[in-house]
Amino acid sequence: MENMKKEAMAIELKQITKTFGTVVANNKIDLSVRQGEILALLGENGSGKTTLMNMLSGIYKPDSGSILINGNAVTINSPEDAIALGVGMIHQHFKLVDALPATDNIILGVKDKGIFLKKSRSEKIAEIIKRFGLNLDPEKKVYQMSVSEKQTVEILKVLYRKADILILDEPTAVLTPQETKRLFEILLLMKKEGCAVIIITHKLNEVMEISDRVTILRKGESVATVNTASTNAQELTELMVGRPVELSIEHPETYFDENLLEIHHLTVEDEEGINMLKDISFNLNRGEILGVAGVAGSGQKELCESIAGLLPVKKGAILYHNENIVGKTPNEIIKMGISMSFIPEDRLGMGLAASMGMVDNMLLKKYNEGKSPFVSKKSARELAKRLVEQLDIVTPSVDTPVRRLSGGNVQKVLLGREIESEPNVLITAYAVRGLDINSSYTIYDSLNEQKKKGVGVLFIGEDLDVMLELCDRIMVLCHGRVTGNVDTKHITKEQLGLLMTDAGTKKGGV
Amino acid sequence: MGALGSRTKQEPFIRVVKKTEISIGKTFLLSLFALIAAIMAGGVFILAIGQNPIDVYITIVKGAWRSSIATKGTIKIAIPLLIAAIGITPAFQMKFWNIGAEGQIIMGGIFATYFALNFDYLPHGILLLLMFVAGMVGGGIWGLLPAVFKTRFGTNETLFTLMLNYIALYMIRFFTEGPWRDPASSGFPKIATFSENARLDRIFGVHAGWLIGLVLVAVMFVYLKYTKHGYEISVVGESINTARYAGMNVKRIVLRTMFISGAICGIAGMTQVTGAAYTLGEGVAGGVGFTAITVAWLSKLNPVIILVVSVLFSMLDKGCSVMQSTFGLSSAVSGILQGIILFFILGFDFFTRYRFVFRKAR
Amino acid sequence: MLKKLLSLCLLAIMVLSFTACGTKKDDSEAGNNSDFKVAVIHIGDPADGAGYTFAHDQGIVAMQEELKLSDDQVIRKNNVNDADAVAIRTAMEEAIEEGADIIFGTSWGYMDTMDEMAKEYTDVIFSHASGYMSNETNFNNYFGRIYQARYLSGIAAGLKTQSDMIGYVAAMGIDNSEVTGGINAFALGVESVNPDAKVYVKVTNSWLDPTLEKQAAEALLDMGCDVIAQHADSTAPQMAAEARGVWGVGYNSDMTKDAPKAHLTAPVWKWGVYYTKAAKDAMEGTWKSENYFGGLAEGFVDVSTLSDNCAEGTKDAIDAAKQRILDGFKVFEGELYDNQGNVVCAAGEALTDADITGAMNWYYKTVEVK
Repeated sequence: MENMKKEAMAIELKQITKTFGTVVANNKIDLSVRQGEILALLGENGSGKTTLMNMLSGIYKPDSGSILINGNAVTINSPEDAIALGVGMIHQHFKLVDALPATDNIILGVKDKGIFLKKSRSEKIAEIIKRFGLNLDPEKKVYQMSVSEKQTVEILKVLYRKADILILDEPTAVLTPQETKRLFEILLLMKKEGCAVIIITHKLNEVMEISDRVTILRKGESVATVNTASTNAQELTELMVGRPVELSIEHPETYFDENLLEIHHLTVEDEEGINMLKDISFNLNRGEILGVAGVAGSGQKELCESIAGLLPVKKGAILYHNENIVGKTPNEIIKMGISMSFIPEDRLGMGLAASMGMVDNMLLKKYNEGKSPFVSKKSARELAKRLVEQLDIVTPSVDTPVRRLSGGNVQKVLLGREIESEPNVLITAYAVRGLDINSSYTIYDSLNEQKKKGVGVLFIGEDLDVMLELCDRIMVLCHGRVTGNVDTKHITKEQLGLLMTDAGTKKGGV
Repeated sequence: MGALGSRTKQEPFIRVVKKTEISIGKTFLLSLFALIAAIMAGGVFILAIGQNPIDVYITIVKGAWRSSIATKGTIKIAIPLLIAAIGITPAFQMKFWNIGAEGQIIMGGIFATYFALNFDYLPHGILLLLMFVAGMVGGGIWGLLPAVFKTRFGTNETLFTLMLNYIALYMIRFFTEGPWRDPASSGFPKIATFSENARLDRIFGVHAGWLIGLVLVAVMFVYLKYTKHGYEISVVGESINTARYAGMNVKRIVLRTMFISGAICGIAGMTQVTGAAYTLGEGVAGGVGFTAITVAWLSKLNPVIILVVSVLFSMLDKGCSVMQSTFGLSSAVSGILQGIILFFILGFDFFTRYRFVFRKAR
Repeated sequence: MLKKLLSLCLLAIMVLSFTACGTKKDDSEAGNNSDFKVAVIHIGDPADGAGYTFAHDQGIVAMQEELKLSDDQVIRKNNVNDADAVAIRTAMEEAIEEGADIIFGTSWGYMDTMDEMAKEYTDVIFSHASGYMSNETNFNNYFGRIYQARYLSGIAAGLKTQSDMIGYVAAMGIDNSEVTGGINAFALGVESVNPDAKVYVKVTNSWLDPTLEKQAAEALLDMGCDVIAQHADSTAPQMAAEARGVWGVGYNSDMTKDAPKAHLTAPVWKWGVYYTKAAKDAMEGTWKSENYFGGLAEGFVDVSTLSDNCAEGTKDAIDAAKQRILDGFKVFEGELYDNQGNVVCAAGEALTDADITGAMNWYYKTVEVK
């Protein structure tokens, strides 16, 4: 009997189909993982990875198809069902109580018998920490933790519930290269212990590094499952995108040598009076792309918003052509003739009005031009139509609410509008987040076009590989401080990773 | 692993699923369906109290339009409802939940009454213009107050506007029992009836409020759809961050819009006191400010649809009152009937957003 | 599934409506003047079963029976808010549309609108209860000497009280002479049989608010009052007295059925006396615009049937007082003092109806406001 179980797949999905309204998110997908195996689930945004895994963790229910766990057909109605079956999912967004220590977060909701068992629970947690070599103080409060520690708590949570099937949804998106390495070590240990691990990702190098097999999804369908050892990044990309893709980013040289923006000792507070930016100074030149790297929440958002005039500045100066723009409202900044384009992180919540069409969104910064009390939509309509053509934006009409467009098209609408306003400074935050590879490269090309025209581009990014190729310089932020401002020709990804953590801070900037 | 079998629970019988976008045609069909369902459910109720539903419904429709007096009566009910719903619209478009139309109507009425009582020696046109402006200012201030507190201190506008309603209501009582008590009433608390000079003129037999209402429909339609202000309101309603990003002065927009919203509701109050009641009483708003919220919401904040819906609402109101006396029913019956009909129509709004999925047979 | 259900419902409604058509009441028994119609505008709903509106409606029913009018000849507009001029106007316009020849408005707040409408609709008679406005042609008012009945009910209370403390739940304060006059008349009645008893008043500032009325009554009971009288519309004060095992004097209608162990008697209006007279005059074309002010003599006011809770000898005492009033006793006869020690009615003089119902803003010496 035991032997037969070992033979069985830990998880087997057969012909899973899931639709939302008219959208087919998953179409007859087959997938399987053995015990002691790491499977990478690879696919572009919108290819159905997360939907598929949500059905395993009990958040959605498949319309048809069957789920087998250890060889038995099961119905999973809720996350509780999933955990009872040994399936634990670690989501991109952590679900932790900030005010409680790790231990309490871990045991929260576990229905053990008795109420005085905390001690034995702590022992159990300590044992798991030891077994997997985790780096965590179980009494530390969550709000004091780094992102990577929080992720460790999430992992502990599912291990504590005796999950032997782990699903991780883009776990490395928020980690530094060093932290990623630590995570992978843990995953390999789990694999050794006989756990089945599914890791959702779209980073090819990670797939190559950690997984045993790869299942590739494209547009809701499973296109292939291959052994990692017998494939390469190029092949995986082609499977993912569906056609050959040129995977290099252009890096044009420019010769402007003119200072556009000077930031002097900038300090910015958030609403609670906590310093989010601490004494930051840097320059942005014409015709360059300055990358800003850092772990999420290191002050990138505040940097963008304070330059755009959206956040009050506590100390310091922002000089644009030697004129201080601190204290001016966004509107005044526009009126001064400074053309500053800003593509915020939260595209639909800030850069665009989600339920308005493209035409109305084109007007966002220009509606107030002229003396007439009425809005003139004629030129906006023309612009919208032009952008649809130039950038291959897929939309039923220029009046369709932009929230109904896909992420890539939304980003094209936003970037198109900003570039169209012929800016001198272009600030982009996470410009390619959630975009498919093709769209991402279109965006990189556009940014390079701007650079060639002499625009200074501030590029807030996540993917260090991309930034190293695209940017001229990279400034690293860590806890609101600049820990480095380096030429991309003279630095490696690992060095950048060091600068992104506290370790780098202690050694001082480069 | 023996527990595994028992773990596999049955799928729930019904699930609620959010719909993706729904076409205009389907929305219209659903609304029609809702209306029919409402009429049928109301019919069952009428049957239950021993009346003939068809007769009752005919009476309701006839009661609202059977004669020129009835038609005028229906229009008179529709006027404040229409104006107040138009007033609420820009605030709601901005997602500023103005539940205070009732109080804004009252304040409009109070301000207008001040001029009617103290300046009725002025020429008719000037007096009415003064009252009109006073009504706007009164309602506008009452709309501005919660906006000031919201932008300054981040107070909750829903509660704030709601509470202001009661303050306004008790202000009427204060004026009725105190400074404005009719000297001729031998101590009874009431405000004197306005003189002829302070009354709104009639056009085609109904006070000119209907014309003001129609003008406001057109103005609000253009204002929201084609002006810069209207654009700003939409963006602020969409996302305050987007508005700030676009360089908009969000505070100023919120204050301005709430003043406009309150001012229009104030106009409703002004037309009520000077056109319909000829005096100020505690019933000057009479719940219109709350019904107007339903009207505006049901009309999806479209001024033209608001016009249609507010006439339908007044028809139901007026018709039910006739029905009640014709059939000798308790007034609670017409309340219940109106409630049932509204419940179905509002309830069906749910179906334009969600659908049910039944468990499939395996 | 849903569609099937709905179509079934529709079918059921249609079938039932045809049967309903068949059983429709036959109203052909109307008298000679089948065109004549009477309308009444109520502030409450007769279905309440007690209180002000119910009392008026009992009068309408009595009038209808007396004049043999069919149901179609009586138009009722219920729950018409008397602070909402638009609602009042709408209700009266509907009545006119439906053919009303005479409209009775039962609430004080209808007055101004009736005055306005009387000018507009000159062929309709407007008759208003409790107000003071009227015109020469088609608008009058009607009210009466309810203070006489209150005086009588005071006798029942004065004989019953053991603590010599009588509570009085009043809708309005001292400024309202209708209420204040009633309290004083009641106190005079109490004093006539029990000189030691005092009347304690609590004001609710609302004509109808069962919660406030109950709270006021309970406060008075807490003070030690053992009879609760009222000038307020709900039965809550009587029920509060019943809950404490003590007694009460109601108003407007016989509240014995609401508080069977507590209720003694209640001053009541016999509105039907006026309604019958006015409607009959209107029907016969002899109606004249003159104000009506009736009392015990006309049978317009009275006390309700004395309950078994009344003290021994109550009936004799009340009958004797009734006879005195019919013989010319004016209730407010000097010398009378208010509770500040001022003479308000000199010896040998009597106050007029106008003083009592329109200008009384002092409390009698045995009255104390709490």
